[in-house]
Amino acid sequence: MPINLKSRLSFRGGVHPPQCKVLTQDKEILPGPSIKEAVILLSQHTGAICQPLVNKGDTVQAGQKIGDSEAFVSAPVHAPFAGKVKEISLQSHPVIGRCLAVVIEAAQDTTPRPPFFKLSPDFDENTYSPEQICDAVRRAGIVGMGGAGFPTRVKIEPNPQLPKHTLLINSCECEPYITCDYRIMLEWTDQIIAGAILAGRAAGSSNVYFAIEDNKPLAIETISTALEKHGRSNNTKVVPVKTKYPQGGERQLIRAVLNKQVPTGGIPPVIGVVVLNVATAAAIADAVINNNPLIHRVVTVTGEAVSNPGNFYVPIGTPIEDLLNFCGGLTRQAARVIIGGPMMGIAIADMKTPVTKTTGAITVLSQEQISRAELQTPCIHCGRCLKICPERLNPTKIAHAVKNYFWDVAQNYYISACIECGCCSYICPAHIELTGYIKTGKVFLARQKKKMPA
Amino acid sequence: MFSNITVAPAPHIDERLSTRRIMADVVIALLPAMVAAGYYFRVYGLVLIIVCVAWSMATEWVCNLLRKKPNSLTDYSAVVTGIILALSLPPALPLWAAAIGSIFAISIGKMVFGGLGANIFNPAMVGRAFLTASFGLLMTTWTVPATIDPQMSTIGPAKMLDARTQATPLAWSKTAIKKELNAKVYAKEQITPAFTGEVGGCTGETSAIALLLGGLYLLLKRTIDPRIPLAVLLSAFIFASIFYFLNPDSYVNPFFHLTTGGLLLGAFFIATDPVTAPLTIKGKWIFGVIIGTLTMLIRIAGEYPEGVMYAVLLGNSVRPLIDRFCTPIPAGGKPRA
Repeated sequence: MPINLKSRLSFRGGVHPPQCKVLTQDKEILPGPSIKEAVILLSQHTGAICQPLVNKGDTVQAGQKIGDSEAFVSAPVHAPFAGKVKEISLQSHPVIGRCLAVVIEAAQDTTPRPPFFKLSPDFDENTYSPEQICDAVRRAGIVGMGGAGFPTRVKIEPNPQLPKHTLLINSCECEPYITCDYRIMLEWTDQIIAGAILAGRAAGSSNVYFAIEDNKPLAIETISTALEKHGRSNNTKVVPVKTKYPQGGERQLIRAVLNKQVPTGGIPPVIGVVVLNVATAAAIADAVINNNPLIHRVVTVTGEAVSNPGNFYVPIGTPIEDLLNFCGGLTRQAARVIIGGPMMGIAIADMKTPVTKTTGAITVLSQEQISRAELQTPCIHCGRCLKICPERLNPTKIAHAVKNYFWDVAQNYYISACIECGCCSYICPAHIELTGYIKTGKVFLARQKKKMPA
Repeated sequence: MFSNITVAPAPHIDERLSTRRIMADVVIALLPAMVAAGYYFRVYGLVLIIVCVAWSMATEWVCNLLRKKPNSLTDYSAVVTGIILALSLPPALPLWAAAIGSIFAISIGKMVFGGLGANIFNPAMVGRAFLTASFGLLMTTWTVPATIDPQMSTIGPAKMLDARTQATPLAWSKTAIKKELNAKVYAKEQITPAFTGEVGGCTGETSAIALLLGGLYLLLKRTIDPRIPLAVLLSAFIFASIFYFLNPDSYVNPFFHLTTGGLLLGAFFIATDPVTAPLTIKGKWIFGVIIGTLTMLIRIAGEYPEGVMYAVLLGNSVRPLIDRFCTPIPAGGKPRA
């Protein structure tokens, strides 16, 4: 099947930040550092926070469940290696500030071994029932590994009211710098294909699409060839999409690939679509076929201010400090350490913050690279933010409403429809932190509605 | 190793764009028009520009001192206001009047509202409107371009010369229509000089080609939104065409309207002033059409030969209303309440 490598499939709006993927895109996934202790946060997902299942001083085995919750929207956490529970205490969390965590002291060398996975020719997804797959996914604690961390079981579980006819495997990786998903596509091709097929089986999707940005021709080719080789190219297809940020936003991706629009305030299943990240697909295969919990992930350590950038396979719970030291430390220009990419990532101050299930990258930027909010000037109403907003909102109006506590105005301009992609702040010539204001406004409004603790 | 680490909300990178860069681009785009002004009106044109820019900057500096605000001259917006004001004034205007216009433009047109980004009306047009209201005679005294008459004699509003050494082409066409002269013949004769700029008129408005070059630069650099100039020029052209086709003898050629007067300067540099133009995409079209049609309405039906200034000011005044009615609908449609 000839593949068109340049794609025009896209959404309206968006920006073109510098890709900067050359730093790590050709670096193989290597085992990460051997660490002394891991910090397993009990909230690594959207939904109910887990309760610890172990006590201080307990001995734990690799892959042992150490935290779980009764709630439907939740995912258990597991010990990444054998060791002893050193303490159960509050630790830095990249998103919610502080969170209860289980600290595990390693018993021996913890250097992880990247998985070796081969799709056997007689692999048949029909030997697994949807219930089996969903249970395995839940047991393994799999959540969306692209960043949002929504429990995957909830996503793929069949729902008679909302049949999910299409499964999109989000392989865009539109954030600059990050290459973990790209390396997974090249190196773990069989595993993600198996995961995608299993997820499609569980959700009852007849069509499975791998949506890949056209700046990754090698990945497009690798996956297409593999699909053909396994005889899966009938209902599993590779769809190249235009390279643009935020192409990997699920609402934008659905618009680009299927030319359908998820209604404002709605979720993709409303129009019969499930979107999963490629790393999640890989984890599903590992969980269902090998019965392994999600205790490792690939993290890209990148940025011009890191001495030796690369892609590493590390236990979840690895403190970021250890990872940065393993990469030769930071250069003197380092000014910001970001969990995730530069567009949506979260800047951290505590380097002991651990890697979570959703940490795809650690990006370190230098002083010259970071945006300069201290140069903020008044809004000149140029309208650039309106033009590039992928959700077609009025970012400057919402941000200034938040700034002045005009909550009704912010809501009239659909503050809740913002996907926080950061395009408006990126493009703003006045250096106004529009996305920052909008995020703040959302938190304020959620608190007013008592959805979030103060 | 971690001593210089800072935190801030995402995104952590930005497009290396700034308000200053945008304003500097506008100044660069105005260069051809300034060169044309220097070529056709020699020292008059250049000194006028320098005086307007200097007084605009001085006024902004003093206003910031009085308001106890940080100096805002570095955003170059005062320079842009000064240049646009100078280009829209008659070349022979006494320099004291130009200074008064600049002071009024910056202080009342911009700083009383709170400085850049807060003004309702285009400051340069506020300054020009003030001068038109105060010194009507000076504002309608024109100069013959130096390339025609090295003496650069001035022409009062009442004085009628032959087709090449006239007041402004628009004023002439107006009189011609009134006196039932043949406007068609006149326009044909004047369209090439109006394109190059060898006609009487405001300092920077005479040379259509220089303004088009600047406009093209702004469009290529994506400094301005193409919708506003397009809407202004198209609506003006259509409006003028309708009258032209109804009665070609008493209305001038629409192309003549496009190349003369302040229409090009207005379309590319004045109406596109981001602060006083609508934010929304639909709003930009509406705003452009309002300015284009009003300009033509004033030119064709009004008493003034020129209408860009009032059209822009009227357009500015309805800008908040336009934005209110053009709230963009989210990509996923309006949420169900």
